[in-house]
Amino acid sequence: MLRAGLKSLASTSSRIPQAFPPRLAYQPARLQQTWRVAQRRSFHWSTPARHAGIERPEPGTGIKITFKDSKGSVIKAVEANEGDDILSVAHEYDVDLEGACEGSIACSTCHIILEEDTFDRLEEPGDDENDMLDMAFGLTDTSRLGCQVKVSADLANGSEGIVVRLPSATRNMFVDGKKAAH
Amino acid sequence: MKLAIVGGGASAFYVASRLLSRLPKEAGVVHVYDRLWAPHGLVRYGVAPDHPEVKNCTHKFDEVAKDPRFRFFGNVNVHDNIPQKAFSQNIPLPLSSIYTHYSHVLFATGCPLPSFHPSLPQSESCIPALNVVHWYTQHPANQGPPPLETAKHVTLIGNGNVALDVARMLLTSPDVLRKYDVPSTVIDTLERSAVQHVSIAARRGPFDAAFTTKEIRELIKLPNASMKPIPEDWLVPAPGAKIDRAKGRIIDLLRKGSEQRYGSTAKTWSLDFFRSPVSFEGGKLTLAHTTAISPSTRVVPTGETSTVDTDLVVTSIGFKGDPTSPFYDPELGHMRTQAGRVQGAMENVYGSGWAAMGPKGVIVATMMDAYAVAETILGDREKSLTPLKSLGGDGTVDLGSVPGELVGNTGVLDYDDWKKIDAAEISRGELVGKERERLTWGEVQALLGRH
Repeated sequence: MLRAGLKSLASTSSRIPQAFPPRLAYQPARLQQTWRVAQRRSFHWSTPARHAGIERPEPGTGIKITFKDSKGSVIKAVEANEGDDILSVAHEYDVDLEGACEGSIACSTCHIILEEDTFDRLEEPGDDENDMLDMAFGLTDTSRLGCQVKVSADLANGSEGIVVRLPSATRNMFVDGKKAAH
Repeated sequence: MKLAIVGGGASAFYVASRLLSRLPKEAGVVHVYDRLWAPHGLVRYGVAPDHPEVKNCTHKFDEVAKDPRFRFFGNVNVHDNIPQKAFSQNIPLPLSSIYTHYSHVLFATGCPLPSFHPSLPQSESCIPALNVVHWYTQHPANQGPPPLETAKHVTLIGNGNVALDVARMLLTSPDVLRKYDVPSTVIDTLERSAVQHVSIAARRGPFDAAFTTKEIRELIKLPNASMKPIPEDWLVPAPGAKIDRAKGRIIDLLRKGSEQRYGSTAKTWSLDFFRSPVSFEGGKLTLAHTTAISPSTRVVPTGETSTVDTDLVVTSIGFKGDPTSPFYDPELGHMRTQAGRVQGAMENVYGSGWAAMGPKGVIVATMMDAYAVAETILGDREKSLTPLKSLGGDGTVDLGSVPGELVGNTGVLDYDDWKKIDAAEISRGELVGKERERLTWGEVQALLGRH
C-alpha cells in the first residue's frame, strides 16, 4: 500500500477512545503507533481503511504466497514481506478472505488451511485462536486463522512458496433444517 | 435489479456487500429497511458489551453504505398487517409498497422474539434473557432493569451463548464493564446488584452443551467468580461416542474448572446439567432430573426432582420469528427457504440470516449464508426490472424511486443520520473513558433536529 494509504489510516485511526485500546493483533507492527492516535470522529464520517495495512514488495523480492481454492486450483500467486499476516496479504491482493473482527481473534472468518509442513513450522496456536477455530467450517488438522499467521521465508516450500488454501466458500446452509432434537 | 432488504442486521449488510461488489455499476440498487433507527441488528443489540472486537464488522458495513447504490431507511416498519408500528416512533410502510417499487425483496428480519418455556409463566421474577439483553444494549424495546437489587440467586434456563453472556454480565465487576459500550444506567444497576450465585441449568449434559469454547473459557477465567466443580462422571464420554475437537476442548475446560477455587470468591456460578424446570412459584424452582444419552437422543426424566430457592429465573431457550411476519412458517418458527428463495412466495422473494436459518450460528455462519443467498439473487437477475407487483404502466421499476410514504418524511433516518448518532455516542463515551454512551430516541431526535 502506498504512503497515502498509511496516512489515511492514521488520520481516521481508531473509533474507540484511548481509554479503550482494542486488540492490535491485526495491525501490522509499524502501524500500531498510529492506531493509538485517538481522534474524535467528525460528523462527516469516514471509515478507517483498516484492510489496507501492508506494502507490496518489489516484484521478485518478496516471499511468494500461493492462494488456492478448496479444490486446490490456484486463485492468485502474490508476494509479501516478512512479518505480514496472511489476512492483510489477502486483502491487499483482493483475495476473498474475510476478516470480520479485523484480526482480533473474535471470529473465524479468516480460516485458512496450510500445508502440513508449513503448519508444523509455525508456533502452536494459542487458546484464543483455537477457541475460534472450534467454530470454523471445514476445520482440518492444518487449519489456522489467517490473521495470526505471519509470513516468513522459512514457511515457504518450493516454487509455490507458502500455499494457503481457502476452505469451501459455501457451507450447505440451504438445507433448511430441523434443529437438533431438543 | 432493485432490491429491498427488510431488516438491517449483519445478514442484510453481507448480502448487500456481495451483491454490490458483483453487480455491474448501473445494474441495480439495494435499499435496506429497519424498524429500528439504528442499523446492524444484533451486532448493536445482541453482541455482549465485553466483546467489542465482534463489532468490528460494522466497519465493513460502513463501507457498504458508502456505495451510492445503497440506501438505508431506519425507523421504518415494513408490515404486512397489524401492528403497523413495532415502535411508537415508527414510520409504517405496507409490504405492498415494497412490492410495487422493487423487483426483488429479501427478508432478513431475524428471529426477534424469545421462545418461552411452557412450565415457566412470565412474571417480574421470571423473564426471558432477551429482556436482559435489551436492557444492557438499550434496545428500543427495553423494559427496564431486571430486579437485581433483590436477587441473590439467579437461575438461567438454557446454556447457549446468550445465557453465558447474561451470566458474565451478572458475574463481572462493573468496574471492568464500565469502559465498554454499557449504558451508564446499566452500570448503576449492576453496582447495586445483590447477585451472589448464578446457576445455569440445562436439560442435557456437558457433551451436548450449547455454549462455545470461548464463552465458557471467559466464565472460567473470571477473577471475581468461581465455578462449582462438575461431577467427574458427567465428563466421561459414553462408550464409543465420537467426540469432536470443540467438544473435547470444552470438556477439558470443564474438568479443570474455574481459575478461582470454588467458594473463594464473592460470587459463584454453577453449570447444572440434566435439570429441566417443572415449576417456579414463590421463589421455589422445581427442577426435574433428566438423562440423555448424548448426542441427540430424547431427554428422559429420571423421576427425581429437586427444588432450589432462587430469586430470579431467566429463560434462554432460543428465539423465533415474528408470527405476524410474512411467510412465517409456524412449524419452523421462521420462514422456510430453499437456496435462499422463500417457499410459498412469488419469484424474487428471498430470506437470509436467522429469518431463514433459525436462531443459530455466529457471525461466520450468517456471513456465509448471506453470500450464498446473494449468489442465488444474482443468478435470478433476468427479470431484474419487473416490479414484484405491477401497478400497470410500462411494468418496469424506477431505480431512483422510493415508496411515496417515505418521500420527504423526516421520521426516516438514513445512514448519514446513523453516522452522526454513532459519532455522538462515541464522543459522549470518550468524555468518560468508555467505548460509547448510547443515545435514547429523544436524544437522537434532538441531535438530528427532528421532532
